[in-house]
Amino acid sequence: MTITATWGGSAGPPSTWRVQEPALSAEWERLGQDDPFEGRAIEAVRKGDAGSYDYLVSKYSKRVVSIAWGIVRNAHDAEDLAQEAFVKAFQRIDRFKEGEPFGPWIYRIVTNLALDVVKHRSRFRHEELTDAQPAARRDNAELGAVTNELATRIDTAIQSLPENQRVVARLYLVEQFDHAEIAVMMNLSEGTIRSHLSLARKKLKDQLADLYGGTHD
Amino acid sequence: MTEDKFFERLRNDARALQHEGDDFLAARLTARVRERINRPTTVAQLLAGWARPLAASLAVLVLSATISFTWTQRQQQDSTETIASNPIDISMAGDLYGVDD
Repeated sequence: MTITATWGGSAGPPSTWRVQEPALSAEWERLGQDDPFEGRAIEAVRKGDAGSYDYLVSKYSKRVVSIAWGIVRNAHDAEDLAQEAFVKAFQRIDRFKEGEPFGPWIYRIVTNLALDVVKHRSRFRHEELTDAQPAARRDNAELGAVTNELATRIDTAIQSLPENQRVVARLYLVEQFDHAEIAVMMNLSEGTIRSHLSLARKKLKDQLADLYGGTHD
Repeated sequence: MTEDKFFERLRNDARALQHEGDDFLAARLTARVRERINRPTTVAQLLAGWARPLAASLAVLVLSATISFTWTQRQQQDSTETIASNPIDISMAGDLYGVDD
């Protein structure tokens, strides 16, 4: 974890710094303790220094957008959701438990917002689909980041899963969160997450059999 | 390949699917969030912030008052009907007289 700036005497963070992007998965529990700037930024925001919030947004923005994108599959929507999540977290910063890492909290907020969008979309899916193909085309256009064939095949296979399995599989496989973390983010039990993943694994193994050496041991 | 091993390999390969965004993503998002949280609260937002909880509290109050009033009235009506529906018999010198008679 490298942070180049030093914290001045003021309540807020220094004006120039390089933030360390959050580590993946199981390390999130340690994030708050590993990064002294994070705790101090939260404390400063609580005391009314809104400028200190920039540090938290910079640090978590990429992952938050990535999580949102994985669920809604649209870059613009993902950024809007990330913005909403950060604003919501800022407005509720008083409820944030002291000493805990900011990551799980913001990941949970953005996951819930993204799931709401997906639910809303599926409610109006009928009208969208009868309208024509633009929704599907737009989703495919967002796949620009997926460059190689293997990644494209994996992406297509994950996208073909039912909604809950798809979201859980994406958070586990792509975003690299573990079962407990996904359970917290989706407000589901760890058992339910394991069950969704188990079903997803069987379907993915069938679909990707040619890439991973067959469906049987 | 065992299922666990397959999933492990898949997880390793799927990491490439993380959405990276462009180089300016963090800066752009930081600016957008800063603009939102520094934006002064409008009168409409202020009213909405107060009006909604106030309206909800009033609604709950009115509902509970209506329920209590209805319940009290029904209780009173029930006790009157109970007295009226029970015949009162008076026995005098071995003969039984009913109030209804």
